[in-house]
Amino acid sequence: MLKKRFLATIIALSLILSLAVGCSSDKKNEGGSGGKGGKDKVEITVMLTPQWKGVMDASEEGADFDSFFKEAAKRFEEEYKEHDVKINVEVVAGDQRDELLNVSLNGGNPPDIFYESIFAMGDYAHRGALVPLNDIVDDESKKDIAQNYWENVTFGDDIYFYPFSHMPGTLVYNADMFKDAGLEEYIGAETEIKTWSLSEYEEILNKLKKDTPKDKYSNAYPMSLYALNNQGDTWNLAYLKMFGNKLYGEDSELVIDDASGVKAMEWLKKINDEGLTNPGAESVSSNDANSMFQNQKLGVSFTNSVLYNNILADMKDGKVPAFDARLANIPSESGDPITFTYVTGAALFDTGDETRIKVSKDFVKFFSTDPELVKASKNGVPVRTSVAEEFKSENPLFAAYDENAKYMFNFTGNVPGYSELRQVLYPELQALYTGEKTPEQAAKDYQSKGNEVIKSAKEDSVIFNK
Amino acid sequence: MIKSKDIKKNLTGYAFIMPQVILFLIFMVYPIIEGIRLSLYKINYKTETFVGLKNYRDLFNDPVFVKSTLNTIIFVVFIVGLTVAFGLFVASAVFDKDARYVSFIRGSYYIPVMVSMVVMSMVWNFLLNPANGLIPYLTQQAGFSSVNFLGNKAIVKPVIIFITFAINVGQAIILYIAAMIGIPNDLFEAAEVEGVSKFHIIRKILIPLVKPTTIYITIINIIAVLKIFVVIQLLTGGGPNNASSTLMYYLYNNAFKYNRLGVASAVGVIMFAITLLLSVPQLRAMFKED
Repeated sequence: MLKKRFLATIIALSLILSLAVGCSSDKKNEGGSGGKGGKDKVEITVMLTPQWKGVMDASEEGADFDSFFKEAAKRFEEEYKEHDVKINVEVVAGDQRDELLNVSLNGGNPPDIFYESIFAMGDYAHRGALVPLNDIVDDESKKDIAQNYWENVTFGDDIYFYPFSHMPGTLVYNADMFKDAGLEEYIGAETEIKTWSLSEYEEILNKLKKDTPKDKYSNAYPMSLYALNNQGDTWNLAYLKMFGNKLYGEDSELVIDDASGVKAMEWLKKINDEGLTNPGAESVSSNDANSMFQNQKLGVSFTNSVLYNNILADMKDGKVPAFDARLANIPSESGDPITFTYVTGAALFDTGDETRIKVSKDFVKFFSTDPELVKASKNGVPVRTSVAEEFKSENPLFAAYDENAKYMFNFTGNVPGYSELRQVLYPELQALYTGEKTPEQAAKDYQSKGNEVIKSAKEDSVIFNK
Repeated sequence: MIKSKDIKKNLTGYAFIMPQVILFLIFMVYPIIEGIRLSLYKINYKTETFVGLKNYRDLFNDPVFVKSTLNTIIFVVFIVGLTVAFGLFVASAVFDKDARYVSFIRGSYYIPVMVSMVVMSMVWNFLLNPANGLIPYLTQQAGFSSVNFLGNKAIVKPVIIFITFAINVGQAIILYIAAMIGIPNDLFEAAEVEGVSKFHIIRKILIPLVKPTTIYITIINIIAVLKIFVVIQLLTGGGPNNASSTLMYYLYNNAFKYNRLGVASAVGVIMFAITLLLSVPQLRAMFKED
């Protein structure tokens, strides 16, 4: 009897023990010398949001969003002398980025490297989650990459991102639809980013509404407008600048609530009410708008250099019906175009593991400076003058983007709390489009709510409180 | 002395329930306690600052939180009410019919329950999207002015209520039919002898005898609707202007988008308290029956 009970107790205890063992996690860097050639084995993780497909080009066989980093990792693993490195590459959806990073950071397990647009990652620098990269930026790179890109990636005194490529944001228009609506005079050259005045733009929208042949383009609308969520909101910010608003003041605060800001809100409401945009902007996402443009349901929509290349590639592959898509600038009342760019690059999270941080830094430096690998930046627009020069003839739009650079505005203002600030804008635009708020109220509420967000983020910012 | 003897005697029993107790403590009790603790802190990755009840005060001063709470209450009342009423109606209409017919009805209402909520939300999005959805397209083709079902402040809540109700009601119907089939036949025979109308049979026999099922359906639906999230996230994003935001959606935004874990935990604690308050009297009623 006693024996039986003893046996049962032993079984129960071993069950518990096996559970406890099952729950324990395995560590990435064991620090032991289990690697090749007696070197320490170090495993790091690189995450990225979808950027370009292929190592150098989307036309490569099996080209995918992780191809470039897998190739860079393979070369680095072979060439790296100090440790036996294994690099894992993971692609995460753009709208899942913050969820994933916040959860992993709070769990003390962030990825080592994250490649993304700087604007989406600036908050992590303010929150003290990133490692400065000053020590891996050499003079040669500083010379090759123009100063304005370095400004984009510098928070306080430190560089937090290694700029790799950039994606200028513009409008894209269906030149075939323009022709069919009798708008030939407003069509620019294929390699041009066409600039229209605001009155010309209004004329285009009205004529598209009136004269687009219904039999050829059923249910088509002149322009895309969306405010379902924060995706693609940089274009909405650009529209708010159309009448000269500066967005941010001297002390990193929002200044949208003035005559120019209200006028821009009124203009958005007007084109929405007059049916110059797709209906239901308040519940349409930028993804919806993009697919509508690809299906020729929109005359003018938003795009950036990578998105535009993807549209052209999809047309070439026969995934969507081919038509003549060309670029244009966001117009303004003053006549100067409004333009912005997303600088993309790698950031390093503070994992607390010195070895992993060191290896990660070396890997970031490797793919951001290697003469062959940096050529992949031609998939967007290269930040390196040397690469831009080399591919100038292959991609004539590089010159047009360069010409545009002088009209660029910094849409984040490098303010702390930018990602939360983004959550404040679209509800106000929704209220504007549904008529729940007047343009004046929407401008006022966006400013006051936004400034509250900035104020509280400033209090927590390690950069503001140095 | 006796006590320690008792413990020794029952040691095997305790050892056998130990794994379950440990799992319960780790995965249920600890998160609840940790959630309550976090709701009193301001958390910034590496630092935790005790702020007392500030998170709760901030919440009640935030109009979006108040709106989300009201929306959640509206959703709970209408969705649970509709589910119970419609479930009772369909079940009492079909439970005594031919077995094959009952199976067909059960199957057709249960299909949406089996399909993932994400897929159902995407189907509804395809139907209702104002720019490229099927229903707005058809209304436009028919010459009516286009209605934005997801972007109109007055319509969005009824639309969400209908969609969630349509997806969930199958489960209530299945449970009600099972409960009604289990009611002893002599009651219906006696009613027939007395010449009682169908309406009276429903009122006096069916509804009282399926009361435990009603209580169960009410509780699980209240808990489910309190956590309503996927439909909101995929269809409206809480919009227009937070008109369809719910407590769970608000919690999600704070926890994963704004990284305000303290505030999100406070919302979680409030939701936990509401669920507990709503469930306790009903659970008590259920146990009384036994």
